[in-house]
Amino acid sequence: MIELRELSCAFDGVVAVDRVSLAVAPGELLVLVGASGCGKTTTLKMINRLVEPTSGSVWIEGRNAAELPGHELRRRIGYGFQQVGLFPHLTVGENVAIVPQLVGWESERIRARTDALLELVRLDPAEFRERDPATLSGGQRQRVGLARALAVEPNLVLLDEPFGALDPLTRDHLQQELLRIRRELELTLVFVTHDMGEALLLADRIAVLEAGRLVRVGTPRELLAEPGDARVAELLATPRRQLQRIDELLARGEGP
Amino acid sequence: MSDQFALLPGYLLAHLQLSLLALGTGVLVSIPLGVFVVRHPRIEGAVLGIAAVAQTIPSLALLALMVPLLAALGTWTASALGFELHSIGFLPAWLALALYSVLPMLRNTVTGIAGIDAALIEAARGVGMTERQRLVRVELPLALPVIVAGVRTATVWVVGTATLATPVGATSLGNFIFSGLQTRNFGAVVLGSVASAVLALGLDGLVRALERGLATRRRRLWAGALLGLAALYVLVVVSLVGAAGTAERSIAIGSKSFTEQYVLAALLAQTVEQAGGPGVRRVESLGSTVAFDALRNDELDLYVDYSGTIWATILGRTGLPGDRATVLAEVRTRLAEDYGIGIVATLGFENSYAIAMREDRAAELRIESLGELARQAPALSIGGDYEFFARAEWTALESRYRMRFAQRRSMDPALMYSALEQREVDAISAFSTDGRIAALGLRVLRDELHVIPPYDAIVLASPRFQREWPALVVAVAALEGRIDAAAMQQMNSAVDQGGELPAAVAARFRAGWSADP
Repeated sequence: MIELRELSCAFDGVVAVDRVSLAVAPGELLVLVGASGCGKTTTLKMINRLVEPTSGSVWIEGRNAAELPGHELRRRIGYGFQQVGLFPHLTVGENVAIVPQLVGWESERIRARTDALLELVRLDPAEFRERDPATLSGGQRQRVGLARALAVEPNLVLLDEPFGALDPLTRDHLQQELLRIRRELELTLVFVTHDMGEALLLADRIAVLEAGRLVRVGTPRELLAEPGDARVAELLATPRRQLQRIDELLARGEGP
Repeated sequence: MSDQFALLPGYLLAHLQLSLLALGTGVLVSIPLGVFVVRHPRIEGAVLGIAAVAQTIPSLALLALMVPLLAALGTWTASALGFELHSIGFLPAWLALALYSVLPMLRNTVTGIAGIDAALIEAARGVGMTERQRLVRVELPLALPVIVAGVRTATVWVVGTATLATPVGATSLGNFIFSGLQTRNFGAVVLGSVASAVLALGLDGLVRALERGLATRRRRLWAGALLGLAALYVLVVVSLVGAAGTAERSIAIGSKSFTEQYVLAALLAQTVEQAGGPGVRRVESLGSTVAFDALRNDELDLYVDYSGTIWATILGRTGLPGDRATVLAEVRTRLAEDYGIGIVATLGFENSYAIAMREDRAAELRIESLGELARQAPALSIGGDYEFFARAEWTALESRYRMRFAQRRSMDPALMYSALEQREVDAISAFSTDGRIAALGLRVLRDELHVIPPYDAIVLASPRFQREWPALVVAVAALEGRIDAAAMQQMNSAVDQGGELPAAVAARFRAGWSADP
């Protein structure tokens, strides 16, 4: 589906991403994980060319992504991020309909699609279509963002820490929703997070980045069994340690 | 006052034409420029800097500077492109006001777009908008309130500043203010100010309604405001196009900004009309050199000037003038040979600069002549009109009489006399034909060294007027020697003290003159 070949990016001579090569299979959910500033967001943005690579290339379904004009490429790829970026001067419905409008769908088709998408992300169209984005909760906003990213039925969706600013309960809900939707639509997903717990819960495969370099790729099971690198082990240890502590606290609470 | 109200529709329309076209031009320049600048941050500082500098030039000066600038440009376009530009009237005022309106709209466009949340820009790019789509669908709508705030600032500025377009020959509500100040008609000043304020608030309200309507998606509101603005623009354009046809065939009669000039311009207009000339257009309250430059470029056809003024400011003579006849002969020759301007008539009176004092103050200090004034000047103060202290006469007074005052103050001629009356200054620069000299019982000091040149009132005619209307030249030439100093003083006094309209005074004078054998 996607292949990154020796992808590098430097800003003013400072290397952010250093020769990353990676392939994502159709229908796969790949999570890019790493500490802040490791280059995971830059790597993601080079896939839809929000950031232009300094060297290397991205291949999507066998075609070099550099061949298309950037805006056309991005219309075919869903994109969501933490701040969502819903346009405040448009209603919820108009925000979802923005890409179909850009590509020139008929208004009847757009209306039907908007309602279907709102239903997909579990927002009642009758209630939410005409709402002002400012009146939504954080979780609802992220749902609308996801609906907007899926509007023209892309096969590939890129998500950059979409749930980073949400409370744990809402985050848990939305993670489950995302898994459901990707199964329903058979999406190929690249998902960026700094939270290894989230990565382990969602990923088919995890790619760990450190200082702009790819240090480890594997399924959650493979990584847990064989971290292969001290830093990766450290990243993996954090969610486990937290679970262990919770167990201990629970055990103490049950004691005499 | 009802005569003044009769002028209101014309002045209001002219003011609207000027303000709306200047604002429209400003919008068309500054918003695209603002968008361009946001996309090219490297030139942002330079462009905003230039606009800010244009803004810091005082508005009256910016308007006045357009005249020589356009005259120079006009000389070039005439030779290179085969058409002439009007250096006075609508064009300089339009350009200066448009330039003046750019900064607030440019700055607000830039800050409005630059201030948009980075997340929204990322979202716009992320969903696949092109630069243009991002501009039209996201950036402009979100920056609209800030941009409109800039348009509203510019609207209020431009409508207010348009009142200052009068001295460059553009009609506006400022005509009420300028002529009202000079002829002591304060009702006219108030009328002009109030009308301009109401116009500013009205236009501001329309722009605001447009913005509120768009922001709150109230279709009736924004459509109504848009319709209102569109209707005003249609009115302005239609009236301008209609006027353009007649302007070419009419005779333009100018006046500077003091009472005598308004009366004489009315007299010239009536003379031309009675002689069966084409339509007459009055261009009032012009600056002194603006009027001369306009005449030599055939943008004015007739106005009255004074031999001494031409001698000093146009011919640049500083030497001691000869007698009245010599100065007049020299001015006549130079105007004809250097500029093609003709002296059609010498009216018969002189209006020279004179130094005047209150009678009681002069008696108390025992001052009768300029020499006596000079001896006591270090303890006294003098008031002069805006140009007086920059003129050759003042330089001559300083050097020949060794005049050194404790204080000198420039002020509006209309206010100078009250300042003298209220003893705020001891002496003023007066005009010898001013009705107020007799009315206030002022003492005019004797110029024993003959430093002040003679100021014969002369009717100047443009090259075009002499060429195309020989019959009218003859009609105007009949004014030769018709007005003596006493008659002029009387007419000035009728306007300044009697509160009559210049045109009425001129008509009465002509009636009496026609009744003469």
